[in-house]
Amino acid sequence: MIKISNLTRRFGRRIVVDNLTLHINPGEIFGLLGPNGAGKTTTVRMLTTLLRPMSGSAEIAGFDIVKEPEAVKRCIGYSPQEINLDRELTGYQNLFLHSLLYRMKKSPVRCRECLILAGIDNQGNDMVKTYSGGMQRSLQITRSVMHDPSILFLDEPTAGLDPKIRRTIWELIRSLNNKQIGVLLTTHYIEEAELLCSRVGIMNKGRLIACDTPSELKKSVGAIVVESNYNGCFDYKHFQDRNAAHEYAKEQERSIVRIRESTLEDVFIHFTGERFCI
Amino acid sequence: MNAYPVFLREMMIFINKIKRPGYILAALLTPLFYLIAFGLGLGRSVSIDGSSYMLFLVPGICAISAMTNAFTGIATSLAVGRLHFKSIEEILVSPVSYWSIAIGEIAGGTARGLFSSVFIIVIAFFLGAHLPANPLFYFAWFLTTVLFAGLGVFAGFKAKAHEDTSVYSNFIIMPMSFFCGTFFSVDKLPQFIGAFLQLFPLTHSVACMRAGYNNQVISIGHFGALAGFTLLCIWLANLSIRQSLK
Repeated sequence: MIKISNLTRRFGRRIVVDNLTLHINPGEIFGLLGPNGAGKTTTVRMLTTLLRPMSGSAEIAGFDIVKEPEAVKRCIGYSPQEINLDRELTGYQNLFLHSLLYRMKKSPVRCRECLILAGIDNQGNDMVKTYSGGMQRSLQITRSVMHDPSILFLDEPTAGLDPKIRRTIWELIRSLNNKQIGVLLTTHYIEEAELLCSRVGIMNKGRLIACDTPSELKKSVGAIVVESNYNGCFDYKHFQDRNAAHEYAKEQERSIVRIRESTLEDVFIHFTGERFCI
Repeated sequence: MNAYPVFLREMMIFINKIKRPGYILAALLTPLFYLIAFGLGLGRSVSIDGSSYMLFLVPGICAISAMTNAFTGIATSLAVGRLHFKSIEEILVSPVSYWSIAIGEIAGGTARGLFSSVFIIVIAFFLGAHLPANPLFYFAWFLTTVLFAGLGVFAGFKAKAHEDTSVYSNFIIMPMSFFCGTFFSVDKLPQFIGAFLQLFPLTHSVACMRAGYNNQVISIGHFGALAGFTLLCIWLANLSIRQSLK
């Protein structure tokens, strides 16, 4: 569905996306995980044709993002990190304009369906600026799939939302994926990537440093972690089974020791030697 | 070509704005002051080529009102939509061609320019001026709003900060308001200044609209220049949209 080959983008002398090669399968939820400045948003902006790559290539549903941008746009949906709804228009008007941009038939009916899906059917005629952050996010994601795209790009879909609304958005993403819409989402929330994504790519400083299912990534570094804290200095030791971890923990007499299961953050630390700083 | 939703979006936003008290008044205030101060005040003691100064002034004021509102309306809307609210991304990521976006946005600016300047003609009528009858006046008026809406789209897509559009207003739009024959005849100026002012599109707009308003023969040179500048600005609008995605 998405084939990315050696995609590169610089801003001035700074390389933001560096030789990214990645294949994303149809219908899967793929997560691009990484700290701020890792190159996730730039990657998505290139794939959605909003930014030109400097070298390399990418195909979405068989269409080249540089040579066939209009064909690419027809088969994708995009919900950016910032809310990009027209705040001075109503929720219904935002959806109606979207339906016209995509030349959709029966647009009033589809607009009403989308308002119900976003959970704001009673506020559809209110200005978007009067909506809460969660309502705006739901509307934005719903609008991005209104024209039935085959792949949906979600850039930080839950950034800045409270835990309750975050879970509502996760349910929305799952329900969209159940309708065979492939999803590429970027996030810096470890929990979000683990819960939603069938595969995860970890990016750091523009490079893809690891890519697999969350469980395989954790297994690759060791499923169990012994976290030792000696005078404020943390050390992480990975083990494949809990017994070995316990044996090791007993030997750490002078440290405060915690044994736990690995997370994707541990995978990130393992590959980069750095903590995951948001 | 699918420019209609782009145009409709601009119109929906514009209609919401004009519902606010004071919005229309703010757009009309400056040209209205010119009309009263120069047309009624100064105009009573001045005549040009045997006719009243008011009849000389009205098409010029109409042209600057069309220019200012077409340019500022669309340039500000696009700059804010691109840089602050990011709402323009919704259009850029949709399967609408760059030409459609350019035409839709220019149509939005044109509607704003025509809406504001039509009040000038109506107010001038109540102040003693006549209503224009020559269709060429209307055509020149329309081209003027398209021209400056095109320039507004260019400025809106080129802006890197909200304030950038005011640079165009201060260095291009405002000087043109004063020097391109709105308040005086360019023909009366020294030849080299008159020749220099031919480089500015408003000079040709005012010349065509004034000739049309007063039922005089419209110079083919001015009309050709106005049409040429209009095509140039439409092309620049399209170019700026393409370049914004690099």
